[in-house]
Amino acid sequence: MSPLLELRSLCKQFSTDFALENLSLELGAGEVHVLVGQNGSGKSALMGLVAGQGKPDSGQILLGGETVNFGSVPESRKAGIIFQRQDPLLYDNLNVAENVYFHRLSKRRRWPRIVEPYELREECASLFSRLGLPIDPGAPVSSLGYTQRLLILAVQTYVADSRLVIFDEPTAGMTDPEREILFTIVREIRDRGVGVFYISHKLDEIGIVGDKVSVLHQGRMTGSLPCRDADRERIIGLMTGKSFTERYPRLATTKGSRVLAVEGLQSDTVLKDVSFSLHKGEILGITGLMGSGRTRLANCLFGSSKPTGGSIRIEGRQENFGHPAEAMARGIALIPEDREHDAVFHFQDIMQNMAIAALSRFRGISGLDARYMHELSSEYISGLAIRPGKPGDLMQNYSGGNQQKVVVARWLMSLCRIFIMDEPTRGIDAAARIDIYNAMNDLVSKGAAVILISSDIDELLGMCDRILVLARGRIVCDLAQGQASKERIIDYASA
Amino acid sequence: MFAVERINIIRSYLREHGKLDVHSISEMLNVSEVTVRRDLEKLENEGFLERQHGGAILAEGGDEEPRRLEISEEERRASADREEIAHVALLMVRDGDVIMLTNGGIARALARKLAERTGLTVLTNDIPVALEIAAQPTNKAVLLGGSPDPESTALFGSLTEATVQKFFVNKLFMEVDGISEQLQMTVTSQEKAALIREAMACADERIALCEAGRFSRNAFFRLGPISQVGKVITNTSVPERYKSGIFAMDVKLFTSVNAFEGGGNE
Repeated sequence: MSPLLELRSLCKQFSTDFALENLSLELGAGEVHVLVGQNGSGKSALMGLVAGQGKPDSGQILLGGETVNFGSVPESRKAGIIFQRQDPLLYDNLNVAENVYFHRLSKRRRWPRIVEPYELREECASLFSRLGLPIDPGAPVSSLGYTQRLLILAVQTYVADSRLVIFDEPTAGMTDPEREILFTIVREIRDRGVGVFYISHKLDEIGIVGDKVSVLHQGRMTGSLPCRDADRERIIGLMTGKSFTERYPRLATTKGSRVLAVEGLQSDTVLKDVSFSLHKGEILGITGLMGSGRTRLANCLFGSSKPTGGSIRIEGRQENFGHPAEAMARGIALIPEDREHDAVFHFQDIMQNMAIAALSRFRGISGLDARYMHELSSEYISGLAIRPGKPGDLMQNYSGGNQQKVVVARWLMSLCRIFIMDEPTRGIDAAARIDIYNAMNDLVSKGAAVILISSDIDELLGMCDRILVLARGRIVCDLAQGQASKERIIDYASA
Repeated sequence: MFAVERINIIRSYLREHGKLDVHSISEMLNVSEVTVRRDLEKLENEGFLERQHGGAILAEGGDEEPRRLEISEEERRASADREEIAHVALLMVRDGDVIMLTNGGIARALARKLAERTGLTVLTNDIPVALEIAAQPTNKAVLLGGSPDPESTALFGSLTEATVQKFFVNKLFMEVDGISEQLQMTVTSQEKAALIREAMACADERIALCEAGRFSRNAFFRLGPISQVGKVITNTSVPERYKSGIFAMDVKLFTSVNAFEGGGNE
């Protein structure tokens, strides 16, 4: 009998740096196939091809023994493939029960086709109690937290008809009881004879839900084995592959006085107890999986999220930022993770994008001194090799790497002393990475301090003096440059 | 490639071989034959060589006369670039290090900056570098023996190479004269190439210094691929393809970013 799904040497070039190469695998009906690999190894990209999000350059996808060639996600959905993504897209204006049954509303009754709100809620309530899900079916979805939304999405998949379900990191940020509920859902879906792909970063989940596990590394399959043979060391070995570790230009600097001390920091349920300190001339690396709290930590330090406990001290002074402006006044800069959305003003020119955080430097007799602004931004443009590099160019016409360098220049110009960089090199070209690494050297050699938040472990090992690993809102280890290794970091992060 | 540099290469080639032909020189330097002919004409006017059909030979006593060059805008820029590179190199030197500087303009700029460090032992074949270091009270200079080359005011030859082998240094700062599209390092004379090769074998860490303006040039004598060194220092203005190329070779590329104005050294 042919397997439910078979991938035969799929290849697809996504960009000059990233391609899926010659991927083949099989998924049987009633089987859970776990996919693991570091960020950017191609797990989600591969599943996107299965779900009709783009076509492979070469190779075949066979569903139930027949070649399929989906042109879009709705097409694959019609064939019974559900791709549950990481971002829980739900209808905020509807309640929980309506969201759960949304795709089935029309099928619940033949006639008359009307929605019975109470009936719907009751059916949902009994389903939730069977699954042990402590959510009120009548509650509006907008009142739910991230992990609860993920669970609602999983239940939505649970009640739908399907042949193949893809879960993409369904337990990101979940507590143990929440994970248990999700595992129950996955197992029940599998027991109906549905094939399940399960993308995960948490290695313990391989043994809990999986039948088979495949490991991806830089767009290639490095191993595929039954879960009972999958011990942790072996998987980590397959995940790390051969890597480039010598190419990170870090200038050794001397550590100065302590500039930042964080004690017992808490923020809602995301950060539970975070303590660390940062010194002048230091690059401190922070890593962790999605949902580990690293971005929240950055936001708390920058005043864009409010901590619910603990203390932040800057140069010995206790701070309680209510707004990023207060953090900026104390010399803190944040280069956010989502450049496009949170950092770049697409329809402003380079000069304005750079000067926006340092306007007080350009105070003239009447308004801003445009000439000085032009002069100074030109200096930064050549200092960071921003190209094409005219102060009047519109930001939207620049490449990602050059946009990111403009954002870096913005914070250099504001003369901050503590630079928090959240994934500063993600998705940018190698030349821009080189410039940003060297700009970091420039900062620390002049006595500033840098917090580098990244998922790229080679980058952290190459650039940082110390690396902290966050997992579920806590710092689980603090490794000095000499002690840190890729295996140790992955081991701690996926605990 | 700057005319000045081309002319230097032609000079050193002629000094070594006594004659040259236009076609092969134009291929090696990757410039047109017309350009080579123009250079030869200039050198003939200086009395350095005699042009012949399809080539030139060294004029009698031609290489004895020193020549003067005007400082052009390009030269000024190159001098600023050298200072920037020397600054980054300085940040890599710790008090008490034993280092070697091979001859060149960046090495001289670095030697001046080394006054900020103490307890250094500096090996060099560059005479001005040795004099500079010797004048610094807490640093020690060791000048490698050999035959002086008046043009580069440095010592070369088999004696220099043999002396280098007697030492072991923490860090070798080797100044290269060109880095090609294929990321091959080149220098302008055979002796220099031989010396750097020897020096590389006697160093813990190898650091290549090269101005941005010298990328995509061939300085004629091949030293080897860039993967032979662990670090390269150049200017920020170096073309992007070299940045990504060197990154892909798993070699550390340091650029002289000097953008941050906040505070001095602390």
